Amino acid sequence: MSDDVIWHCIRHNHCSFMAKIETGIFCRNPYNATGICNRSSCPLANSRYATIRDHDGVFYLYMKTAERAHLPKKLWERVKLPRNYEKAMEIINKHLEFWPKLLVHKIKQRLTKMTQYRIRMRRLQLKVREKIMTVPRKKTQRDLRRLDKAEKAAQLDKSIESELKERLRKGVYGEIYNFPFKQFDTILDMEKDDLAPEIEEEEEGEIEYVEGDDIEMGDMDDMEDFEGFGDEDDGDEDDDLDEPATKKPKLPGSDSRSKIGRKSTKVITEIRFSFQNHFIVRLVV
Amino acid sequence: MATTARPLVSVKALDGDMATDAAGVPMPHVMKAPIRPDVITFVHRLVSCNSRQPYAVSRKAGHQTSAESWGTGRAVSRIPRVGGGGTHRAGQGAFGNMCRGGRMFAPTRIWRKWHRRVNVRLRRVAVASALAATAVPAIVTARGHRIESVPEFPLVVSDSAEGIEKTAQAIKVLKQLGAYADAEKAKQSVGIRPGKGKMRNRRYINRKGPLIVYGTEGSKIVKAFRNLPGVDVANVERLNLLDLAPGGHLGRFVIWTESAFKKLDEVYGSFEASSSKKKGFVLPRPKMTNADLGRLINSDEVQSVVKPINKEVKRREARKNPLKNAAAVLKLNPYFGTARRMAVLAEAARVKARKEKINSKRTKLSEEASKIKAAGKAWYQTMISDSDYTEFDVFSKWLGVSQ
Repeated sequence: MSDDVIWHCIRHNHCSFMAKIETGIFCRNPYNATGICNRSSCPLANSRYATIRDHDGVFYLYMKTAERAHLPKKLWERVKLPRNYEKAMEIINKHLEFWPKLLVHKIKQRLTKMTQYRIRMRRLQLKVREKIMTVPRKKTQRDLRRLDKAEKAAQLDKSIESELKERLRKGVYGEIYNFPFKQFDTILDMEKDDLAPEIEEEEEGEIEYVEGDDIEMGDMDDMEDFEGFGDEDDGDEDDDLDEPATKKPKLPGSDSRSKIGRKSTKVITEIRFSFQNHFIVRLVV
Repeated sequence: MATTARPLVSVKALDGDMATDAAGVPMPHVMKAPIRPDVITFVHRLVSCNSRQPYAVSRKAGHQTSAESWGTGRAVSRIPRVGGGGTHRAGQGAFGNMCRGGRMFAPTRIWRKWHRRVNVRLRRVAVASALAATAVPAIVTARGHRIESVPEFPLVVSDSAEGIEKTAQAIKVLKQLGAYADAEKAKQSVGIRPGKGKMRNRRYINRKGPLIVYGTEGSKIVKAFRNLPGVDVANVERLNLLDLAPGGHLGRFVIWTESAFKKLDEVYGSFEASSSKKKGFVLPRPKMTNADLGRLINSDEVQSVVKPINKEVKRREARKNPLKNAAAVLKLNPYFGTARRMAVLAEAARVKARKEKINSKRTKLSEEASKIKAAGKAWYQTMISDSDYTEFDVFSKWLGVSQ
């Protein structure tokens, strides 16, 4: 069937590649040279057509003729274009010497555009670019909450105090004369009465006193026990607090301070460098 | 369409076929039928109505009450109200489409006209047109089928395909033919239908894949391809427009078996000979045998007789008013020029003659007297110009002195 009949069917009946947007009608066919749905740019409605396509940074000139229209597998003839722009132009001129001028012009425009964006893409690859990745907010907030609870449950102050008292009792610090009076008294009294508080000691071996940055709670099992304990405690505290609940009066002037122009209080951003992948990752909660 | 040399379509041999040197099957005449998207849209729309099942509300719905209107005088609206008492329903409005529990406006009836009749010839023309469209790879691509790897169009397969019994083998055959991409696209497109059709036994939808057309009745091929999503099978003698142009869009991807392809001439006939299966049906003739308008215009036969291009553009002259514009009058009345000239001359002569006449009647002053008069005038002028009065704007105006 002739090109005109095909064009009529495509344009006025149905074409699966046509995309109508408010700014115009476009063609999603990968072989379209201009990207616009047009009588002269439609690769389906022109039995003699050519395009340039990009494959992994290499440009190929694709051509089709009416002679092969009934053999879809062999329809498109492919010619590799050299990387040099001028040489590519020459090759195009050689292959499309007797083709309609409009089509040749469009193809050359396409080649120009593609070389330009190829250069730009390569340049961008070398730069380190920021990439925004989202972090699941619920999970991070949940973890932070659990961290707080674990801290509370660990009762660090008390455990540190008891540990230090123990050490003092043992005599690790030799002879110290400037420690808090109250604690000294309590220990003396205890020693006097032989009522040293029973402290759970690890009987596995000698106790080693090691430097530590954070208070390590040992195994994860201990953490869980403490968590449960901590939760119960928190529950009791809440009940107590409910009755004499007094609200803090709102600061005057806080309403007048508008939040316009301020950074989002909900968004937490964290920047990590990833040199391997050549981008900076900005984690957004 | 004259019986010009018809192209030969080669037959694809499947694995295990004996290699033949057959030249191929000539293209059946149906494939050259005019492609009429308008006819197909029309016929498709009507023919789609024919498998509908009636729907209606119950005949009794909304009328199963013995409601009576209370009439006027009770400070309520006059619609019929349910009688009785002791229940919420008593006193409520009934029967109207505006009432809760009333019958709807214009209850749907089963005797609505569900099916449409289409002229037999129109139906056949539509199918012929749809078949012609399946032979054009551009239209099939435009419809959305993936035919990049298909070796030839129209795709004809040897008759050994009709003996395929297993679906696994069917898939292998499709892959050999390069048609599997289309079938795969259909398989991957299976999804749940949006809307109420979900709960009305129409839960899943998918794209259409290839249509396999076979020739011999009772082939096992039907069962082999039946289970592939999107793939349809049809006998040549019973081709359906709803399969050839699904959705009213031309160009389904069709895979023919050799016997089916050869039978097409029998079933649809040619442009001159009527078909043997469809009594009296001759293929429709196109309005133009050669529809390539560009080619026609640029052909030698036409260009040799055509007038040369006229590049100059003639524009209308602006109309000038002859009552105002002398050039315009001149165009209309060529004598105008001379008439005007003569009038001007005559006027000048008249003025001159009059002046001379007056002068001759005036008393002539002697030379002395005229000199004295002239001197007097000059002195007056100097007097004006030298006087103090000229310093005052008002007086200078009055005196008429220009300095």
